[in-house]
Amino acid sequence: MAAVVAASGIAVYASVEAHRVQVLVLAFGLAAVAVLGVGLTTAAPGTILAGLAGLAAAWSVSAWTRGSGAPGGTIFAAAALFGAAELAYWSLEQVSVADEPELAAQRLAGLAVRVTGVLLLGSVLLASLGLHAGGGVVLEAVGVAAAIGLLVLVVILARAGHETVER
Amino acid sequence: MKRHITVKLEAYVVLTAIGLLAALIFARPELALLSAPFAVTIALGLALARPPDVRAWVELDRERVLEDDEITLAVTLEARVGASRLELLVDVPTGLELVSGRNPLALRVGAGEERILTLRLRCARWGAYRFGDLHLRARDAAGLLTWEQTIARPATLRVYPRPEALRELVAPRETQLFTGNRVAREKGEGLEFADLRPFASGDRIRRINWRASARRGELWVNEFHAERNADVILFLDSFAEAQHAGHGTLDQAIRAAASLAERYLAGKDRVGLVNFGGVLNWLRPGTGMRQLYRIVEALLNTEITLSYAWKDIDILPRGTLPPKALVFALTPLLDDRAVRALLDLRARGFDLVVVEVSPVPFVEPPSGESGELAFRLWQLRRQARRLEYERAGALVVEWHEDTPLTAILEGVSASRRHAVARV
Repeated sequence: MAAVVAASGIAVYASVEAHRVQVLVLAFGLAAVAVLGVGLTTAAPGTILAGLAGLAAAWSVSAWTRGSGAPGGTIFAAAALFGAAELAYWSLEQVSVADEPELAAQRLAGLAVRVTGVLLLGSVLLASLGLHAGGGVVLEAVGVAAAIGLLVLVVILARAGHETVER
Repeated sequence: MKRHITVKLEAYVVLTAIGLLAALIFARPELALLSAPFAVTIALGLALARPPDVRAWVELDRERVLEDDEITLAVTLEARVGASRLELLVDVPTGLELVSGRNPLALRVGAGEERILTLRLRCARWGAYRFGDLHLRARDAAGLLTWEQTIARPATLRVYPRPEALRELVAPRETQLFTGNRVAREKGEGLEFADLRPFASGDRIRRINWRASARRGELWVNEFHAERNADVILFLDSFAEAQHAGHGTLDQAIRAAASLAERYLAGKDRVGLVNFGGVLNWLRPGTGMRQLYRIVEALLNTEITLSYAWKDIDILPRGTLPPKALVFALTPLLDDRAVRALLDLRARGFDLVVVEVSPVPFVEPPSGESGELAFRLWQLRRQARRLEYERAGALVVEWHEDTPLTAILEGVSASRRHAVARV
Protein backbone atom coordinates (compact mmCIF):
# COMPACT_ATOMS: atom_id res chain seq x y z
CA MET A 1 0.00 0.00 0.00
CA ALA A 2 2.79 2.39 0.96
CA ALA A 3 4.57 1.50 -2.30
CA VAL A 4 1.48 2.46 -4.30
CA VAL A 5 1.14 5.73 -2.34
CA ALA A 6 4.78 6.60 -3.01
CA ALA A 7 4.37 5.70 -6.68
CA SER A 8 1.20 7.81 -6.93
CA GLY A 9 3.14 10.68 -5.41
CA ILE A 10 5.73 10.41 -8.18
CA ALA A 11 3.01 10.32 -10.86
CA VAL A 12 1.25 13.40 -9.48
CA TYR A 13 4.52 15.26 -8.83
CA ALA A 14 5.69 14.52 -12.39
CA SER A 15 2.43 15.91 -13.73
CA VAL A 16 2.65 19.02 -11.57
CA GLU A 17 6.28 19.63 -12.54
CA ALA A 18 5.66 19.16 -16.28
CA HIS A 19 5.50 22.32 -18.37
CA ARG A 20 3.47 20.72 -21.15
CA VAL A 21 1.21 17.70 -21.65
CA GLN A 22 0.50 17.43 -17.92
CA VAL A 23 -2.54 15.24 -18.50
CA LEU A 24 -0.50 12.86 -20.63
CA VAL A 25 2.22 12.66 -17.98
CA LEU A 26 -0.39 12.08 -15.27
CA ALA A 27 -2.11 9.39 -17.33
CA PHE A 28 1.23 7.70 -18.04
CA GLY A 29 2.23 7.88 -14.38
CA LEU A 30 -1.11 6.57 -13.13
CA ALA A 31 -0.96 3.74 -15.64
CA ALA A 32 2.44 2.80 -14.22
CA VAL A 33 0.96 2.97 -10.68
CA ALA A 34 -1.85 0.68 -11.80
CA VAL A 35 0.66 -1.79 -13.25
CA LEU A 36 2.60 -1.65 -9.98
CA GLY A 37 -0.64 -2.23 -8.05
CA VAL A 38 -1.46 -5.24 -10.18
CA GLY A 39 2.05 -6.57 -9.67
CA LEU A 40 1.74 -6.23 -5.91
CA THR A 41 -1.71 -7.78 -5.83
CA THR A 42 -0.68 -10.75 -7.93
CA ALA A 43 2.81 -10.92 -6.38
CA ALA A 44 4.35 -10.79 -9.86
CA PRO A 45 7.92 -9.42 -9.73
CA GLY A 46 8.00 -8.74 -13.50
CA THR A 47 4.87 -6.57 -13.34
CA ILE A 48 6.29 -4.64 -10.40
CA LEU A 49 9.44 -4.01 -12.42
CA ALA A 50 7.33 -2.77 -15.36
CA GLY A 51 5.45 -0.41 -13.01
CA LEU A 52 8.66 1.02 -11.58
CA ALA A 53 10.17 1.48 -15.07
CA GLY A 54 6.95 3.18 -16.16
CA LEU A 55 7.17 5.62 -13.24
CA ALA A 56 10.78 6.47 -14.13
CA ALA A 57 9.68 7.04 -17.73
CA ALA A 58 6.80 9.28 -16.57
CA TRP A 59 9.22 11.42 -14.57
CA SER A 60 11.59 11.53 -17.54
CA VAL A 61 8.82 12.76 -19.86
CA SER A 62 7.99 15.41 -17.26
CA ALA A 63 11.65 16.48 -17.12
CA TRP A 64 11.84 16.48 -20.93
CA THR A 65 8.98 19.01 -21.10
CA ARG A 66 11.13 21.33 -19.00
CA GLY A 67 14.01 21.27 -21.42
CA SER A 68 17.57 20.02 -21.01
CA GLY A 69 19.13 19.21 -17.62
CA ALA A 70 17.73 17.37 -14.61
CA PRO A 71 15.18 19.34 -12.59
CA GLY A 72 15.80 19.69 -8.86
CA GLY A 73 12.72 17.61 -8.09
CA THR A 74 14.50 14.58 -9.55
CA ILE A 75 16.13 14.06 -6.15
CA PHE A 76 12.72 13.60 -4.54
CA ALA A 77 11.46 11.53 -7.46
CA ALA A 78 14.54 9.25 -7.18
CA ALA A 79 14.02 8.88 -3.42
CA ALA A 80 10.30 8.15 -3.88
CA LEU A 81 10.98 5.66 -6.68
CA PHE A 82 13.62 3.91 -4.61
CA GLY A 83 11.30 3.88 -1.59
CA ALA A 84 8.45 2.50 -3.69
CA ALA A 85 10.72 -0.23 -5.09
CA GLU A 86 12.00 -1.20 -1.63
CA LEU A 87 8.48 -1.31 -0.22
CA ALA A 88 7.20 -3.28 -3.20
CA TYR A 89 9.86 -5.98 -2.89
CA TRP A 90 9.46 -6.00 0.88
CA SER A 91 5.77 -6.69 0.44
CA LEU A 92 6.65 -9.53 -1.95
CA GLU A 93 8.70 -11.14 0.82
CA GLN A 94 5.71 -10.90 3.14
CA VAL A 95 3.64 -13.06 0.82
CA SER A 96 5.60 -16.17 1.80
CA VAL A 97 6.62 -15.32 5.38
CA ALA A 98 5.54 -12.29 7.39
CA ASP A 99 8.19 -10.48 9.42
CA GLU A 100 8.14 -10.48 13.19
CA PRO A 101 6.96 -7.04 14.45
CA GLU A 102 10.45 -6.39 15.85
CA LEU A 103 12.07 -7.17 12.51
CA ALA A 104 9.49 -5.10 10.61
CA ALA A 105 10.26 -2.08 12.81
CA GLN A 106 14.00 -2.51 12.24
CA ARG A 107 13.52 -2.80 8.49
CA LEU A 108 11.30 0.29 8.43
CA ALA A 109 13.99 2.26 10.21
CA GLY A 110 16.59 0.91 7.78
CA LEU A 111 14.43 1.94 4.83
CA ALA A 112 14.07 5.48 6.21
CA VAL A 113 17.86 5.69 6.49
CA ARG A 114 18.33 4.44 2.92
CA VAL A 115 15.78 6.88 1.49
CA THR A 116 17.53 9.70 3.34
CA GLY A 117 20.79 8.43 1.86
CA VAL A 118 19.25 8.57 -1.61
CA LEU A 119 18.24 12.20 -1.05
CA LEU A 120 21.81 12.98 -0.03
CA LEU A 121 23.26 11.03 -2.93
CA GLY A 122 20.98 12.81 -5.39
CA SER A 123 21.96 16.21 -4.01
CA VAL A 124 25.66 15.34 -4.19
CA LEU A 125 25.33 14.05 -7.74
CA LEU A 126 23.39 17.11 -8.89
CA ALA A 127 25.82 19.46 -7.24
CA SER A 128 29.10 17.75 -8.10
CA LEU A 129 28.35 16.84 -11.69
CA GLY A 130 26.47 20.03 -12.44
CA LEU A 131 23.65 18.03 -13.96
CA HIS A 132 21.21 20.78 -13.14
CA ALA A 133 22.91 22.96 -15.70
CA GLY A 134 22.45 20.44 -18.48
CA GLY A 135 24.16 17.38 -19.99
CA GLY A 136 27.67 17.43 -21.34
CA VAL A 137 30.80 15.31 -21.63
CA VAL A 138 30.90 14.46 -17.91
CA LEU A 139 27.38 13.00 -17.98
CA GLU A 140 28.12 10.99 -21.11
CA ALA A 141 31.33 9.61 -19.58
CA VAL A 142 29.46 8.60 -16.41
CA GLY A 143 26.70 7.02 -18.48
CA VAL A 144 29.09 5.02 -20.67
CA ALA A 145 31.10 3.81 -17.65
CA ALA A 146 27.97 2.87 -15.75
CA ALA A 147 26.44 1.07 -18.73
CA ILE A 148 29.61 -0.96 -19.33
CA GLY A 149 29.90 -1.69 -15.61
CA LEU A 150 26.33 -2.84 -15.50
CA LEU A 151 26.70 -5.13 -18.45
CA VAL A 152 29.65 -6.76 -16.70
CA LEU A 153 27.57 -7.05 -13.53
CA VAL A 154 24.65 -8.63 -15.38
CA VAL A 155 26.99 -11.24 -16.87
CA ILE A 156 28.53 -11.98 -13.46
CA LEU A 157 25.13 -12.29 -11.81
CA ALA A 158 23.79 -14.45 -14.58
CA ARG A 159 26.68 -16.85 -13.99
CA ALA A 160 26.31 -16.69 -10.23
CA GLY A 161 22.61 -17.43 -10.56
CA HIS A 162 23.34 -20.83 -12.05
CA GLU A 163 26.12 -21.88 -9.77
CA THR A 164 25.38 -22.78 -6.17
CA VAL A 165 27.86 -22.67 -3.41
CA GLU A 166 27.65 -25.60 -1.07
CA ARG A 167 29.22 -25.48 2.32
CA MET B 1 24.16 -23.47 2.21
CA LYS B 2 22.95 -22.79 -1.29
CA ARG B 3 23.16 -19.23 -2.54
CA HIS B 4 20.44 -17.71 -4.71
CA ILE B 5 19.82 -14.38 -6.37
CA THR B 6 16.58 -12.65 -5.39
CA VAL B 7 14.05 -11.16 -7.80
CA LYS B 8 14.87 -7.83 -6.20
CA LEU B 9 18.48 -8.01 -7.39
CA GLU B 10 17.34 -8.95 -10.89
CA ALA B 11 14.85 -6.07 -10.91
CA TYR B 12 17.39 -3.54 -9.60
CA VAL B 13 19.96 -4.58 -12.20
CA VAL B 14 17.39 -4.26 -14.98
CA LEU B 15 16.16 -0.88 -13.67
CA THR B 16 19.71 0.43 -13.43
CA ALA B 17 20.67 -0.87 -16.85
CA ILE B 18 17.56 0.52 -18.53
CA GLY B 19 17.92 3.85 -16.73
CA LEU B 20 21.56 4.39 -17.54
CA LEU B 21 21.27 3.22 -21.14
CA ALA B 22 18.18 5.36 -21.69
CA ALA B 23 20.01 8.32 -20.12
CA LEU B 24 22.80 7.76 -22.60
CA ILE B 25 20.58 7.26 -25.62
CA PHE B 26 18.15 10.12 -24.93
CA ALA B 27 20.76 12.33 -23.24
CA ARG B 28 18.49 12.72 -20.22
CA PRO B 29 20.46 13.12 -16.93
CA GLU B 30 17.41 12.63 -14.70
CA LEU B 31 17.22 9.00 -15.85
CA ALA B 32 20.80 8.43 -14.65
CA LEU B 33 19.92 10.09 -11.38
CA LEU B 34 16.82 7.90 -10.95
CA SER B 35 18.95 4.81 -11.56
CA ALA B 36 21.77 5.82 -9.23
CA PRO B 37 20.16 4.62 -5.93
CA PHE B 38 19.57 1.20 -7.43
CA ALA B 39 23.14 1.00 -8.72
CA VAL B 40 24.52 2.04 -5.32
CA THR B 41 22.30 -0.49 -3.55
CA ILE B 42 23.55 -3.27 -5.83
CA ALA B 43 27.20 -2.28 -5.41
CA LEU B 44 27.05 -1.86 -1.62
CA GLY B 45 24.69 -4.81 -1.08
CA LEU B 46 26.88 -7.27 -2.97
CA ALA B 47 30.08 -5.92 -1.46
CA LEU B 48 28.78 -6.22 2.11
CA ALA B 49 26.87 -9.51 1.73
CA ARG B 50 28.29 -12.30 3.90
CA PRO B 51 27.00 -15.86 3.92
CA PRO B 52 25.33 -16.48 7.29
CA ASP B 53 26.42 -19.30 9.55
CA VAL B 54 23.35 -20.44 11.44
CA ARG B 55 22.96 -23.79 13.15
CA ALA B 56 19.50 -25.03 14.02
CA TRP B 57 18.10 -28.03 15.79
CA VAL B 58 14.73 -29.20 16.99
CA GLU B 59 13.78 -30.70 20.32
CA LEU B 60 10.48 -32.21 21.40
CA ASP B 61 9.43 -32.15 25.04
CA ARG B 62 8.07 -35.70 24.69
CA GLU B 63 8.57 -38.46 22.17
CA ARG B 64 5.48 -40.51 23.03
CA VAL B 65 2.08 -38.94 23.48
CA LEU B 66 -1.57 -39.77 23.21
CA GLU B 67 -3.93 -38.42 20.60
CA ASP B 68 -5.17 -34.89 21.35
CA ASP B 69 -2.19 -34.25 23.61
CA GLU B 70 -0.18 -31.12 23.03
CA ILE B 71 3.57 -31.08 22.63
CA THR B 72 6.12 -28.30 22.58
CA LEU B 73 8.61 -28.18 19.76
CA ALA B 74 11.64 -26.02 20.49
CA VAL B 75 13.72 -24.77 17.58
CA THR B 76 17.11 -23.51 18.68
CA LEU B 77 18.99 -21.15 16.41
CA GLU B 78 22.64 -20.40 16.98
CA ALA B 79 24.28 -17.86 14.69
CA ARG B 80 28.01 -17.43 14.31
CA VAL B 81 27.48 -15.03 11.42
CA GLY B 82 24.10 -13.35 11.69
CA ALA B 83 21.37 -12.87 9.10
CA SER B 84 19.38 -9.70 8.56
CA ARG B 85 16.31 -11.75 7.83
CA LEU B 86 16.05 -15.43 8.53
CA GLU B 87 13.01 -17.36 7.39
CA LEU B 88 12.34 -20.54 9.28
CA LEU B 89 9.91 -23.26 8.29
CA VAL B 90 9.37 -26.44 10.26
CA ASP B 91 7.79 -29.07 8.06
CA VAL B 92 4.97 -30.17 10.36
CA PRO B 93 3.48 -33.49 9.27
CA THR B 94 -0.22 -33.82 8.51
CA GLY B 95 -1.93 -35.01 11.65
CA LEU B 96 -0.27 -32.43 13.87
CA GLU B 97 -1.90 -29.02 14.21
CA LEU B 98 -0.25 -25.78 15.20
CA VAL B 99 -1.81 -24.41 18.39
CA SER B 100 0.50 -21.52 19.16
CA GLY B 101 3.67 -20.06 17.74
CA ARG B 102 4.35 -19.01 14.17
CA ASN B 103 5.38 -21.32 11.40
CA PRO B 104 6.87 -20.17 9.09
CA LEU B 105 8.32 -17.03 10.57
CA ALA B 106 10.91 -14.41 9.68
CA LEU B 107 13.26 -12.97 12.25
CA ARG B 108 16.60 -11.28 12.63
CA VAL B 109 19.51 -13.18 14.14
CA GLY B 110 22.59 -11.29 15.17
CA ALA B 111 26.12 -12.70 15.15
CA GLY B 112 26.75 -14.85 18.22
CA GLU B 113 23.09 -14.78 19.14
CA GLU B 114 21.15 -17.85 20.24
CA ARG B 115 17.39 -17.91 19.99
CA ILE B 116 14.90 -20.54 21.04
CA LEU B 117 11.55 -20.53 19.30
CA THR B 118 8.71 -22.67 20.54
CA LEU B 119 5.79 -24.12 18.67
CA ARG B 120 2.88 -25.73 20.45
CA LEU B 121 1.39 -28.57 18.44
CA ARG B 122 -1.71 -30.66 18.96
CA CYS B 123 -1.48 -34.29 17.98
CA ALA B 124 -4.74 -34.61 16.10
CA ARG B 125 -4.21 -38.10 14.75
CA TRP B 126 -2.35 -41.19 15.91
CA GLY B 127 0.71 -42.24 14.00
CA ALA B 128 4.47 -42.48 13.97
CA TYR B 129 5.65 -39.10 12.77
CA ARG B 130 9.03 -38.14 11.55
CA PHE B 131 9.20 -34.41 11.48
CA GLY B 132 9.94 -33.25 8.00
CA ASP B 133 12.69 -30.94 7.02
CA LEU B 134 13.64 -27.77 8.82
CA HIS B 135 14.07 -25.11 6.16
CA LEU B 136 16.20 -22.02 6.72
CA ARG B 137 16.44 -19.13 4.30
CA ALA B 138 18.71 -16.25 5.19
CA ARG B 139 18.84 -12.94 3.37
CA ASP B 140 21.49 -10.26 3.26
CA ALA B 141 20.86 -6.75 4.54
CA ALA B 142 19.94 -5.35 1.11
CA GLY B 143 17.76 -8.32 0.22
CA LEU B 144 19.74 -9.11 -2.91
CA LEU B 145 21.01 -12.59 -2.08
CA THR B 146 19.55 -15.50 -0.15
CA TRP B 147 21.14 -18.60 1.31
CA GLU B 148 19.07 -21.71 1.85
CA GLN B 149 19.67 -24.68 4.04
CA THR B 150 17.59 -27.73 4.85
CA ILE B 151 18.04 -29.85 7.95
CA ALA B 152 16.54 -33.24 7.29
CA ARG B 153 14.28 -35.17 9.65
CA PRO B 154 15.29 -33.68 12.95
CA ALA B 155 12.91 -35.46 15.36
CA THR B 156 10.48 -38.34 15.69
CA LEU B 157 7.23 -38.50 17.56
CA ARG B 158 4.88 -41.37 18.31
CA VAL B 159 1.26 -40.50 18.86
CA TYR B 160 -0.67 -43.36 20.34
CA PRO B 161 -4.41 -43.68 19.81
CA ARG B 162 -6.30 -42.47 22.86
CA PRO B 163 -7.95 -45.52 24.38
CA GLU B 164 -11.71 -45.44 24.60
CA ALA B 165 -13.41 -45.96 27.93
CA LEU B 166 -14.74 -49.52 27.78
CA ARG B 167 -17.17 -50.57 30.47
CA GLU B 168 -17.27 -54.22 29.50
CA LEU B 169 -15.09 -56.55 27.47
CA VAL B 170 -16.16 -59.57 25.48
CA ALA B 171 -15.31 -62.52 27.68
CA PRO B 172 -13.55 -65.41 25.93
CA ARG B 173 -15.42 -68.72 26.12
CA GLU B 174 -12.29 -70.61 27.18
CA THR B 175 -9.56 -69.69 29.60
CA GLN B 176 -5.89 -70.69 29.65
CA LEU B 177 -3.65 -72.13 32.33
CA PHE B 178 -2.15 -69.01 33.81
CA THR B 179 -3.60 -67.00 36.65
CA GLY B 180 -5.73 -64.09 35.63
CA ASN B 181 -8.94 -62.25 36.36
CA ARG B 182 -11.35 -64.49 34.49
CA VAL B 183 -13.55 -67.01 36.22
CA ALA B 184 -12.71 -70.36 34.62
CA ARG B 185 -15.07 -73.26 34.19
CA GLU B 186 -12.57 -75.45 36.01
CA LYS B 187 -12.58 -75.65 39.77
CA GLY B 188 -9.56 -74.56 41.72
CA GLU B 189 -8.25 -71.69 43.79
CA GLY B 190 -10.42 -68.68 43.40
CA LEU B 191 -13.12 -66.51 44.90
CA GLU B 192 -16.18 -67.42 42.83
CA PHE B 193 -18.27 -70.13 44.48
CA ALA B 194 -18.70 -73.21 42.26
CA ASP B 195 -20.08 -76.15 44.22
CA LEU B 196 -20.17 -78.20 47.45
CA ARG B 197 -18.60 -81.60 47.96
CA PRO B 198 -17.93 -83.93 50.91
CA PHE B 199 -14.82 -83.26 52.93
CA ALA B 200 -11.80 -85.25 51.82
CA SER B 201 -8.52 -85.71 53.54
CA GLY B 202 -6.20 -82.81 52.82
CA ASP B 203 -8.96 -80.19 52.50
CA ARG B 204 -8.36 -76.99 54.38
CA ILE B 205 -10.47 -76.29 57.44
CA ARG B 206 -11.38 -72.81 56.25
CA ARG B 207 -13.05 -74.33 53.20
CA ILE B 208 -15.58 -76.22 55.29
CA ASN B 209 -19.11 -74.94 54.76
CA TRP B 210 -20.35 -75.21 58.38
CA ARG B 211 -23.98 -74.53 57.59
CA ALA B 212 -24.18 -77.30 54.93
CA SER B 213 -22.17 -79.63 57.19
CA ALA B 214 -24.60 -79.06 60.09
CA ARG B 215 -27.59 -79.79 57.82
CA ARG B 216 -26.11 -82.99 56.40
CA GLY B 217 -24.43 -84.27 59.56
CA GLU B 218 -21.04 -84.64 57.87
CA LEU B 219 -18.35 -82.26 56.71
CA TRP B 220 -18.84 -80.54 53.38
CA VAL B 221 -16.48 -78.10 51.75
CA ASN B 222 -16.95 -75.26 49.29
CA GLU B 223 -15.44 -75.49 45.83
CA PHE B 224 -14.47 -72.44 43.81
CA HIS B 225 -13.91 -71.57 40.18
CA ALA B 226 -10.28 -71.04 39.30
CA GLU B 227 -9.24 -67.60 38.15
CA ARG B 228 -7.37 -67.84 34.91
CA ASN B 229 -6.32 -65.63 32.09
CA ALA B 230 -7.38 -65.89 28.46
CA ASP B 231 -5.76 -65.51 25.07
CA VAL B 232 -7.15 -62.79 22.84
CA ILE B 233 -6.00 -62.31 19.28
CA LEU B 234 -6.80 -58.98 17.70
CA PHE B 235 -7.27 -59.62 14.02
CA LEU B 236 -6.95 -56.44 12.01
CA ASP B 237 -8.02 -56.50 8.38
CA SER B 238 -5.77 -54.06 6.53
CA PHE B 239 -6.37 -55.19 2.97
CA ALA B 240 -8.65 -52.26 2.15
CA GLU B 241 -10.35 -49.33 3.80
CA ALA B 242 -13.03 -46.78 3.09
CA GLN B 243 -11.97 -43.23 3.76
CA HIS B 244 -13.60 -39.83 3.65
CA ALA B 245 -12.25 -36.43 4.72
CA GLY B 246 -9.23 -37.84 6.54
CA HIS B 247 -11.22 -40.43 8.50
CA GLY B 248 -11.58 -44.03 7.55
CA THR B 249 -12.33 -47.55 8.66
CA LEU B 250 -8.66 -48.31 9.34
CA ASP B 251 -8.44 -45.37 11.76
CA GLN B 252 -11.48 -46.61 13.58
CA ALA B 253 -10.21 -50.19 13.68
CA ILE B 254 -6.79 -49.18 14.98
CA ARG B 255 -8.28 -47.05 17.74
CA ALA B 256 -10.49 -49.95 18.73
CA ALA B 257 -7.60 -52.43 18.63
CA ALA B 258 -5.45 -50.21 20.84
CA SER B 259 -8.29 -49.77 23.35
CA LEU B 260 -9.03 -53.50 23.40
CA ALA B 261 -5.35 -54.41 23.79
CA GLU B 262 -4.98 -52.06 26.72
CA ARG B 263 -8.07 -53.35 28.52
CA TYR B 264 -7.40 -57.05 27.96
CA LEU B 265 -3.79 -56.68 29.06
CA ALA B 266 -4.90 -54.79 32.15
CA GLY B 267 -7.00 -57.85 32.98
CA LYS B 268 -3.87 -60.06 32.83
CA ASP B 269 -4.95 -61.70 29.56
CA ARG B 270 -2.44 -62.56 26.89
CA VAL B 271 -3.02 -60.46 23.79
CA GLY B 272 -1.64 -61.03 20.31
CA LEU B 273 -2.06 -59.22 17.05
CA VAL B 274 -2.55 -60.38 13.50
CA ASN B 275 -2.39 -57.59 10.98
CA PHE B 276 -3.80 -59.30 7.95
CA GLY B 277 -3.34 -57.21 4.84
CA GLY B 278 -1.08 -56.41 1.93
CA VAL B 279 1.78 -56.61 4.43
CA LEU B 280 1.33 -59.41 6.94
CA ASN B 281 2.35 -58.57 10.47
CA TRP B 282 1.84 -60.50 13.67
CA LEU B 283 2.70 -60.55 17.34
CA ARG B 284 2.54 -63.67 19.43
CA PRO B 285 0.31 -63.37 22.50
CA GLY B 286 1.97 -61.85 25.51
CA THR B 287 1.16 -59.99 28.68
CA GLY B 288 2.13 -56.81 30.41
CA MET B 289 3.05 -53.27 29.52
CA ARG B 290 5.79 -54.29 27.11
CA GLN B 291 3.30 -56.24 25.05
CA LEU B 292 0.98 -53.23 25.00
CA TYR B 293 3.78 -51.06 23.63
CA ARG B 294 4.65 -53.72 21.05
CA ILE B 295 1.05 -53.92 19.90
CA VAL B 296 0.58 -50.16 19.71
CA GLU B 297 3.86 -49.72 17.86
CA ALA B 298 2.75 -52.37 15.37
CA LEU B 299 -0.60 -50.63 15.01
CA LEU B 300 1.08 -47.27 14.37
CA ASN B 301 2.93 -48.76 11.45
CA THR B 302 -0.22 -50.20 9.93
CA GLU B 303 -1.11 -48.96 6.52
CA ILE B 304 -3.08 -50.15 3.56
CA THR B 305 -0.75 -51.78 1.06
CA LEU B 306 -2.19 -52.80 -2.25
CA SER B 307 -1.61 -56.47 -2.91
CA TYR B 308 -3.20 -59.01 -5.19
CA ALA B 309 -1.51 -61.98 -3.53
CA TRP B 310 -3.95 -64.50 -2.14
CA LYS B 311 -3.31 -65.04 1.54
CA ASP B 312 -4.90 -67.45 3.92
CA ILE B 313 -4.51 -68.23 7.57
CA ASP B 314 -1.98 -71.02 6.97
CA ILE B 315 0.78 -68.51 6.31
CA LEU B 316 0.72 -67.38 9.94
CA PRO B 317 3.47 -68.99 12.02
CA ARG B 318 2.66 -71.54 14.71
CA GLY B 319 1.86 -70.04 18.07
CA THR B 320 0.38 -66.89 16.63
CA LEU B 321 -3.11 -68.32 17.03
CA PRO B 322 -3.09 -70.42 20.22
CA PRO B 323 -5.90 -72.94 20.75
CA LYS B 324 -8.94 -71.71 22.68
CA ALA B 325 -8.07 -68.11 21.92
CA LEU B 326 -10.74 -65.51 21.36
CA VAL B 327 -10.20 -64.02 17.91
CA PHE B 328 -11.49 -60.50 17.89
CA ALA B 329 -11.65 -59.37 14.27
CA LEU B 330 -11.94 -55.76 13.19
CA THR B 331 -12.73 -55.67 9.51
CA PRO B 332 -14.61 -53.49 7.03
CA LEU B 333 -15.58 -56.69 5.15
CA LEU B 334 -14.29 -55.20 1.93
CA ASP B 335 -11.78 -57.81 0.87
CA ASP B 336 -12.59 -61.46 0.20
CA ARG B 337 -9.23 -62.65 1.48
CA ALA B 338 -9.91 -61.39 5.00
CA VAL B 339 -13.48 -62.69 4.87
CA ARG B 340 -12.26 -66.16 3.85
CA ALA B 341 -9.50 -66.18 6.47
CA LEU B 342 -11.98 -65.41 9.25
CA LEU B 343 -14.36 -68.11 8.07
CA ASP B 344 -11.39 -70.48 8.03
CA LEU B 345 -10.60 -69.58 11.64
CA ARG B 346 -14.19 -70.23 12.64
CA ALA B 347 -14.10 -73.57 10.85
CA ARG B 348 -11.01 -74.45 12.91
CA GLY B 349 -13.00 -73.94 16.08
CA PHE B 350 -11.72 -70.55 17.21
CA ASP B 351 -14.00 -68.42 19.30
CA LEU B 352 -14.61 -65.67 16.76
CA VAL B 353 -16.15 -62.23 17.18
CA VAL B 354 -16.31 -60.09 14.07
CA VAL B 355 -16.78 -56.36 14.49
CA GLU B 356 -17.59 -54.98 11.09
CA VAL B 357 -16.19 -51.46 10.91
CA SER B 358 -18.87 -50.17 8.63
CA PRO B 359 -17.54 -48.46 5.50
CA VAL B 360 -21.04 -47.22 4.58
CA PRO B 361 -20.73 -43.78 6.30
CA PHE B 362 -17.54 -43.14 4.33
CA VAL B 363 -19.11 -43.96 0.97
CA GLU B 364 -21.04 -41.42 -1.07
CA PRO B 365 -23.91 -43.17 -2.87
CA PRO B 366 -23.35 -42.55 -6.58
CA SER B 367 -25.94 -40.45 -8.38
CA GLY B 368 -28.07 -41.76 -11.17
CA GLU B 369 -30.14 -44.86 -11.56
CA SER B 370 -27.26 -47.22 -12.29
CA GLY B 371 -25.26 -45.68 -9.41
CA GLU B 372 -28.07 -46.28 -6.96
CA LEU B 373 -28.46 -49.83 -8.26
CA ALA B 374 -24.73 -50.48 -7.83
CA PHE B 375 -24.87 -49.10 -4.28
CA ARG B 376 -27.80 -51.34 -3.41
CA LEU B 377 -26.04 -54.37 -4.90
CA TRP B 378 -22.93 -53.56 -2.87
CA GLN B 379 -24.97 -53.35 0.32
CA LEU B 380 -26.73 -56.64 -0.49
CA ARG B 381 -23.37 -58.28 -1.05
CA ARG B 382 -22.26 -57.10 2.36
CA GLN B 383 -25.46 -58.48 3.86
CA ALA B 384 -24.74 -61.81 2.21
CA ARG B 385 -21.27 -61.87 3.77
CA ARG B 386 -22.72 -61.27 7.22
CA LEU B 387 -25.15 -64.15 6.70
CA GLU B 388 -22.25 -66.35 5.68
CA TYR B 389 -20.61 -65.67 9.06
CA GLU B 390 -23.82 -66.25 10.93
CA ARG B 391 -24.25 -69.61 9.19
CA ALA B 392 -20.74 -70.49 10.32
CA GLY B 393 -21.70 -69.63 13.90
CA ALA B 394 -19.67 -66.43 14.22
CA LEU B 395 -21.13 -63.28 15.60
CA VAL B 396 -20.94 -60.22 13.33
CA VAL B 397 -21.72 -56.78 14.70
CA GLU B 398 -21.87 -53.72 12.51
CA TRP B 399 -20.07 -50.71 14.01
CA HIS B 400 -20.76 -47.22 12.74
CA GLU B 401 -18.36 -44.37 13.40
CA ASP B 402 -20.75 -42.45 15.65
CA THR B 403 -21.42 -45.40 17.99
CA PRO B 404 -19.09 -45.81 20.97
CA LEU B 405 -17.10 -49.03 20.97
CA THR B 406 -18.26 -49.86 24.47
CA ALA B 407 -21.87 -50.04 23.26
CA ILE B 408 -20.81 -52.49 20.55
CA LEU B 409 -18.95 -54.65 23.07
CA GLU B 410 -21.91 -54.67 25.44
CA GLY B 411 -24.10 -55.79 22.54
CA VAL B 412 -21.65 -58.56 21.64
CA SER B 413 -21.43 -59.75 25.25
CA ALA B 414 -25.22 -59.78 25.58
CA SER B 415 -25.58 -61.75 22.33
CA ARG B 416 -22.97 -64.28 23.48
CA ARG B 417 -24.68 -64.73 26.86
CA HIS B 418 -27.99 -65.19 25.09
CA ALA B 419 -26.43 -67.75 22.73
CA VAL B 420 -24.99 -69.68 25.69
CA ALA B 421 -28.34 -69.62 27.47
CA ARG B 422 -30.05 -71.01 24.36
CA VAL B 423 -27.51 -73.83 24.10
